[in-house]
Amino acid sequence: MKENMEKIAEMTRLSIFEVFEKMFYIFLEPSDGKVDGYDMEALIEFEGSARGEIRILLSRNMVRTMVQNMLNLEEGEITRHNIEDCSKEAVNMVAGNLFGKLDNSEMFNLSIPAFKPEYSGPSSGENAYRMDFDSDGEKVGVIIDINGRV
Amino acid sequence: MSFNVLIVDDSNSMRAVIKKVISISGFKMDKCIEASNGVEALEALTGHWVDVIISDINMPIMSGFELFERLKSDNLLKDIPVIAITTESSDERMQDAFNLGVKGFIRKPFLPEEIRGILYKVIGVNYEGKYGEDSGDDEAFDF
Repeated sequence: MKENMEKIAEMTRLSIFEVFEKMFYIFLEPSDGKVDGYDMEALIEFEGSARGEIRILLSRNMVRTMVQNMLNLEEGEITRHNIEDCSKEAVNMVAGNLFGKLDNSEMFNLSIPAFKPEYSGPSSGENAYRMDFDSDGEKVGVIIDINGRV
Repeated sequence: MSFNVLIVDDSNSMRAVIKKVISISGFKMDKCIEASNGVEALEALTGHWVDVIISDINMPIMSGFELFERLKSDNLLKDIPVIAITTESSDERMQDAFNLGVKGFIRKPFLPEEIRGILYKVIGVNYEGKYGEDSGDDEAFDF
């Protein structure tokens, strides 16, 4: 179980780097120590040989940068809808990318992503794994919470 | 020659990005029609002729797979080339899509040149927009 979780964590790291670089032109670095101050999150549920959910945690300024970079918008043009949409796309892409990296021969069903305009706190799941990243002082976190076989 | 493109994705942002990428890629696009799910796509196809459809798979109301099935069973629509643009990556899911007539895949996240290359490839034209054997490929393109 522990080895599998480490592999999942490593693949998640690669996936989040790839998604943020290609789609949002943001270069992330792993964050040292405990990170707080997330303002919102997007989540997606998955179901296959294991099931659970992936949450992407975002600071306000990080998500604004994501929207500006992805859509080529000026600061004053950003809407709440853009923020929600980009956050959901981010978690959708990280999840799809992650499962592709883990095992292409296995099929996982992904839910429609959801957005929460606040951070709902750390996961209490036994098989939850959290990673935090930053870029120019702005933060992104990811929590993978797995139920069932890993 | 230029082409009409139908983009189907439940994310406004993703549709905007795809449209922008196609525009700057050098692909000769005439009209770009947008739909946020399979139902809207089928409605759009009743009023517009399109040369290629780029569709997400994981969408509410009508998913990409349902849309591909509907297209395949419609004599007027079954020959329109379809490209799936998706985070889906399992071999089984891709084979299912190919069986439903999908001609190409673009995986999210994507690079602009991937979209242009696959568009030309599935339509079967070269970079001048002329039909021929020299269709689009992964040639480097300076954005």
